[in-house]
Amino acid sequence: MNDKISSHKNGSVVIVGGGIGGMQAALDLADSGFKVHLIQKDPSIGGTMVMLDKTFPTGDCSMCMISPKMVEVGRHINIDVHSLAEVVSVEGKPGDFKVRVKLQPRYVDPDKCTGCGDCEVKCPKKLPSEFDQGIGKRKVIYSLFAQAVPNTRAIDARHCLYLTKGTCRLCEKACKAGAINYQDKEKEIEISTGAIILSPGLDRYDAAVRGELGLGRWKNVVSSLQFERILSASGPYKGEVKRPSDERHPVKVAWIQCVGSRDSHNANPWCSSVCCMYATKQAIIAKEHDKHIEPSIFYMEMRAFGKDFDKYVERAKNEYGVRYLRAMISGVKEEPETGNLLMRYADEEGKLIDESFDMVVLSIGIEPHKNAAEFAKTFGIETNPYLFAKTSPLRPVQTSRDGIFVTGTYQGPKDIPDTVMQGSAVAGEAMALLAEARGTEAVHKELLPEKDVEGEKPRIGVFVCHCGTNIAATVKIDEVVEAAKKLPDVAYVTNTIYACAQDNQAVIKEVVKENNLNRVIIASCTPRTHEPLFQETIRDAGLNKYLFDLADIREQCSWCHMGQKEEATKKAIGIVKMSVAKSRLQKPLKTDSVSVTPSCMIIGGGIAGMTSALSLADQGFDVHIVEMESELGGLARNVYRTLEGNDVQEFLKATIEKVRGHQRITVHTGTQVKKTEGFVGNFKTTLANETVITHGAIILATGGTEYAPTEYLSSESEKVITQRELERRIASGEKFNPGGKYVMIQCVGSREEPYQYCSRICCQDAVKNAIAIKEKDHGSQVMILYRDIRTYGLREDYYKKARDIGVLFVRYDVENKPLVQQEGNRFKIKTHDYMLNRELQLDADWLVLSTGLRPHPTTENTGKMYKVTRNQDGYFLEAHVKLRPVDFPSEGIFVCGLAHAPKNLDETITQSLAAAGRAGVILSHESLAVSGIIAKHKKELCMSCLGCFRVCPFDSPYIGEDGKIAHNEVKCMGCGICAAICPAKAFQVNNFRDDQILAMIDAASECESGVVGG
Amino acid sequence: MDKVVQSSEQAKAPSIEKSHETPEGWEPNILAFACHYCAFAAADLAGVMRLSYSPNVKIIRLPCTGKLDQIYVLRAFEKGIDGVFVAG
Repeated sequence: MNDKISSHKNGSVVIVGGGIGGMQAALDLADSGFKVHLIQKDPSIGGTMVMLDKTFPTGDCSMCMISPKMVEVGRHINIDVHSLAEVVSVEGKPGDFKVRVKLQPRYVDPDKCTGCGDCEVKCPKKLPSEFDQGIGKRKVIYSLFAQAVPNTRAIDARHCLYLTKGTCRLCEKACKAGAINYQDKEKEIEISTGAIILSPGLDRYDAAVRGELGLGRWKNVVSSLQFERILSASGPYKGEVKRPSDERHPVKVAWIQCVGSRDSHNANPWCSSVCCMYATKQAIIAKEHDKHIEPSIFYMEMRAFGKDFDKYVERAKNEYGVRYLRAMISGVKEEPETGNLLMRYADEEGKLIDESFDMVVLSIGIEPHKNAAEFAKTFGIETNPYLFAKTSPLRPVQTSRDGIFVTGTYQGPKDIPDTVMQGSAVAGEAMALLAEARGTEAVHKELLPEKDVEGEKPRIGVFVCHCGTNIAATVKIDEVVEAAKKLPDVAYVTNTIYACAQDNQAVIKEVVKENNLNRVIIASCTPRTHEPLFQETIRDAGLNKYLFDLADIREQCSWCHMGQKEEATKKAIGIVKMSVAKSRLQKPLKTDSVSVTPSCMIIGGGIAGMTSALSLADQGFDVHIVEMESELGGLARNVYRTLEGNDVQEFLKATIEKVRGHQRITVHTGTQVKKTEGFVGNFKTTLANETVITHGAIILATGGTEYAPTEYLSSESEKVITQRELERRIASGEKFNPGGKYVMIQCVGSREEPYQYCSRICCQDAVKNAIAIKEKDHGSQVMILYRDIRTYGLREDYYKKARDIGVLFVRYDVENKPLVQQEGNRFKIKTHDYMLNRELQLDADWLVLSTGLRPHPTTENTGKMYKVTRNQDGYFLEAHVKLRPVDFPSEGIFVCGLAHAPKNLDETITQSLAAAGRAGVILSHESLAVSGIIAKHKKELCMSCLGCFRVCPFDSPYIGEDGKIAHNEVKCMGCGICAAICPAKAFQVNNFRDDQILAMIDAASECESGVVGG
Repeated sequence: MDKVVQSSEQAKAPSIEKSHETPEGWEPNILAFACHYCAFAAADLAGVMRLSYSPNVKIIRLPCTGKLDQIYVLRAFEKGIDGVFVAG
């Protein structure tokens, strides 16, 4: 055993930073038998993503995606969220670290606080809201945003009247739960942990430093994050696009790109990776909000390098009329009388143009936190010169200190899916490091046996909650109580100040037992956040948890109908009536479980498949790699160096050796999958060579191929070669003469119909080879003809280096491609130079084509076999572009590497570790519980019309051996589409059965409309 | 062509229900079917943001709007619900 690693290993992981990356890692680890301590410096988890309105390139609502994840983190039995907390010291070694954490006082007791927000209403002092980027206001006692987790408010001690001046105490008076504690003190705790994950997230470039752009000086110049809040329906203008000076609707809106990025003189030298896309998104969304808006984006290079990004930009141009102008803006001036903003720029012909805009958005970049140097010191890790955590492209989530991993923007600028991938990847790394400690610290709840209520007459208990004054101020609780008493099968009704308060859980349990209740309804808040809590309470009282129902009379009643007491009370009574109607028909549900075969099959033996295999094998699972070729290695066999200079061949050789030597890994080369059967946890695969494998999960790492060019005389001359071939020649010295003239042409076979996507790797390949040629012989001449140089993130350094050592870059336009002529052994190339605005004639000894990537030809058949979809370009389509980047909608099947989309080697390794992390979550369970809320199939009613079979998104109905429809409940997610389409009503969804819904409709129809005078 | 005109006239002629004046201050009783994951969450957010709307809307939560059976809509109208709103 490595003496650097502790022989005693803790089964817990400390995660520092609760943004989307940290949350993903926390959930993956906690779902697979580890205890997680999530350290968050703010009062709530959520990070940057919660501030965004929508996300590119799908336009999904950011908060709607992240909020359920936050709730899941907040109530996970094996995740402890320590908010307002910071790590002060770390000691020990991998497997056994001691982490000291400082907890800032919150002044609100989380055990007593119910999150009702009464205190916030009464607090007299307002401050600019950090969450709304200073455009909106917040109180001194506050939650960062409406969906905050934990939802315990916090007092901002710097501004609290009582804590600074000794007067006020209004929040204390408002709090019925007695949760305010002005005596709260700073605390320090020590946590023993096996591994540490750093996901502290990002800071944003302070554009006020660039005074000439006018942020903080001209009111209608806003940062991109401020604009994000302006677009948000929960933001300061409730989603209406207004400009701050006069709250008028702007028409002409300009975005200035690269503010604080790609500027080694005045700001940060790196590319922030996300701004081109978020500006495009903001322009589209602004236009969707208000069709009169005319967006213009001023940019240097359009870096739409991700999956489906180029298509998004094309849509912005063609469908939304977004104007893209390639121009750098050096100053913004205000016209004092109108508040409009004047900008001067040079157009494509070099003519200077003055244009006025109603509003200007500065696309500010990403940077490490202000205290990044100190942060790195606390954890004892090295940083790169820019203070991002230092990592290697071959171990992209491992910091310089063993046992400490990094995810998200602290590793380098990146977008949400890349952050989520790294989140799962660090989880996979920690699972492998702590494999033998899995399950040692995770808590399992022991449950009492369930009381059998089958056949009993319903005896319903109804608890009507005041929620302090949140409900009671608008809904007359006593009238609701009286009305509930008259409803059929209701045996007990009471009111309660806070149903969710800890002491009330005990009361509810007692009441259930004493009154022999067999159904419980709480009339309070939304089931989306509180149902699991109350279900647990009645389960503790011995009742099946599905005998519970929540009647939402807060979010969907009192909060929406303030000042309408009569109407709101009537509506609340109606809601309770509907709930009782449903509850009477509730049945206890048994949840089945299926066993899991703790092994994984991986299709594809390239770097992706092998990386996943090693991680899973280290986690303690058996792995089978199925590779159609006779040897392992895939496309990486043709790659020699990374952009950063790592030796890829050596890495590949070492990886293959590790795979071949690992006792848990079986490699099947020269064969393919012939037949697949089964479902998550229990797959059975038959290979073409008749080998049968049983396994619990599948990873599709089928890779890609390189495009073989036909353009630019490539078939006619030996001196036209691809970047990959050039790379081989540079590495081997064969047929390589550094002293010549090289012309490289980018985007050959990419970013053009029918391949309207960026292959992501070619710009770095060109820059890498160009630098290598120049370094071998400075007298050689290298010219790169490009459309946009997409050296995103920290790769920008190498673009700069190439320029500094004399590589020439000339832009061409897709409408006006370079013309290549062969003259003897040499080439003459004509192209238009947009900088000089004239034709250039170039000579070259070598013409190098940057050819793109294509999905592997087997992708289509593999997709059909596993019923997973592919995007327009033929790459596998993940379950969710943002938050589930390695999952498929079918459970137990994962994707990584080029099969998913073109990507660089470090990103392939990350995604492969992520796939291993996600697969590890499933394989770590001895059995998988099937949800209670699933569709139930009655075979005797079924006519096998195949309606369900066709519509089910999860493939849970299947054709059984008898030729009739059968139902695999393990795959069922309970959406009930089958139930709606089934003409025979052979499908019914538990707890949403037709008789229950119809009873609710009947109850609703009996209600008064809720409007007085109706 | 003639046939079509005829049948539409026929449809107009025997009205099943007499149209009647809506009384002063009358408000419809509206039932919404909302998907748990989106529209129901949106209704919650409306509450969190204290957005006000008419109290004559009550919501039935479905696991997916794909679960909506036409029988639900028919039953609602049959029982006198004045409007059905499906959101998801």
